[in-house]
Amino acid sequence: MSRILTLAAITWIEMLRRKDLYVLLILLAALLGALLTMNVYGLAGVTGYVKDTGLLFVWLLGWILALNTSVRLLPDEEQKGTLFPLLAKPVSRGALIVGKWLGAWSVSGAALLCFYLTVGLGVLLKGGAFNLLILTQAILLHLAALAVLCSIGIALSTRMNRDAAAVTAYVVTGAAFVLMPRIPAMLTDTEGVAGTVLSVLYYGFPHFELFDLRRRLIHEWGCAPWLIVAEVLVYGALLTTGFLALAWLGYRKRQFTRGAAL
Amino acid sequence: MTTPIEIEGLEVSFPARGGTVHALHSLTLRVPQGSVVGFLGPNGAGKTTTIHVLLGFQEPTRGTARIFGQPVGATIARERIGYLPENPDTYGFLTGRELLAMAGRLFGLAPAEIRRRSDQLLEETGLQDAVNRRIATYSRGMKQRICLAQALINDPDLLILDEPTGGLDPLGRLDIRRLIAARKAAGKTVFFSSHELSEVELVCDRVALLAGGHLLAEGPVHTLVPAGQSLERYFIDTVAPHTADRTSPS
Repeated sequence: MSRILTLAAITWIEMLRRKDLYVLLILLAALLGALLTMNVYGLAGVTGYVKDTGLLFVWLLGWILALNTSVRLLPDEEQKGTLFPLLAKPVSRGALIVGKWLGAWSVSGAALLCFYLTVGLGVLLKGGAFNLLILTQAILLHLAALAVLCSIGIALSTRMNRDAAAVTAYVVTGAAFVLMPRIPAMLTDTEGVAGTVLSVLYYGFPHFELFDLRRRLIHEWGCAPWLIVAEVLVYGALLTTGFLALAWLGYRKRQFTRGAAL
Repeated sequence: MTTPIEIEGLEVSFPARGGTVHALHSLTLRVPQGSVVGFLGPNGAGKTTTIHVLLGFQEPTRGTARIFGQPVGATIARERIGYLPENPDTYGFLTGRELLAMAGRLFGLAPAEIRRRSDQLLEETGLQDAVNRRIATYSRGMKQRICLAQALINDPDLLILDEPTGGLDPLGRLDIRRLIAARKAAGKTVFFSSHELSEVELVCDRVALLAGGHLLAEGPVHTLVPAGQSLERYFIDTVAPHTADRTSPS
């Protein structure tokens, strides 16, 4: 376990010393600053649009950060050659994968908390507030979604280079975000092979919409039942474990030849 | 005591454009405990491939390799190894001390032991003054030395170095020679590949000559090299007839 934590700590130090996180945070703050100066319909007390736009950006930035971080960790180690001294130490490839995933997830998760805090402060400044219980549920589920995203990024990066993994991860997860909630409606009008394909997509792809409580949070529809929240968290844990297992299968017998004679 | 390195009938082939590349042909080699062995050969001889097999980065096509009696890649064997790759690079965003601490933790060392070993290695490698600077600001020679220090953090019984003096100035090479001599004096085993035959002659008690994936000679330097001849002359005479193209159609 200490080896996994050490590997995760490398990612933390790197992210804290790079500019990416700070740039994203400044972007979000600037966006909120602009939103706070606006008065929709001339009403100073309306906060729904601040919540809506702010949370949309929290999701977008969290998505970008989780995928960008996770897809580059292993390929960068290989490209720079730092992977070789690492694998020459008593670190199993499974520990390497879990350590890298933990690093990517915990950094993205910590950044996510900062993003929520920024939006929360923006809403407070506008005279509104989030329901804390719904906010807690939303953050928990969002963290679970990030865990799945990071595991997808890591799994893809074990089988392709960084750029290809990034593009594939954005396309697959973006499609899952947009398409999955629409498939049940599409299935009512689709039969035959197309219907089968849609069903396979529906049951085979991750359902990120289950982790998204933005509507509930913006319109204060009340808390989601905790049992449902727990079930979605378990679903997230299963997906994460599955993708990490795929990553391990792709990596455990991988041959590394950089610098070899041929 | 188990033998640090035992290689038996090792073969490595790669599928490549235009045929199969045979990197190693039935390599058999034994590195005795406490020896300093120079692994010599021209570019493309298969030295790095052999080292990669020993460290579990590559699977052999045939044959076996064992480290301290354990199959290569076994975690228990890697606990006793230190490794410096060719043209090493490391995490530029870490400081020298952070890198050594990270390496120590990966070996499962206690914090006090990491501190003690780090101080000792930083002194041996002459990096005490740069310890709190980020590695990205180090010169090439300093990077080589901090990478060597992290390879030694666990006080390894077997040190594997891949071209450790490549690109270093004479002072840097002298530092590496001193470190190798210190390992030998401590009864540790050092296995290193090199083109620098004068360096090898100075520090090695055994050499293994590889060309075209074939082991041409192996043994103590004084028994292999005829009296009055340099290792360089012996190397050229032995290796030159075996440097034909190794790519053959499959």
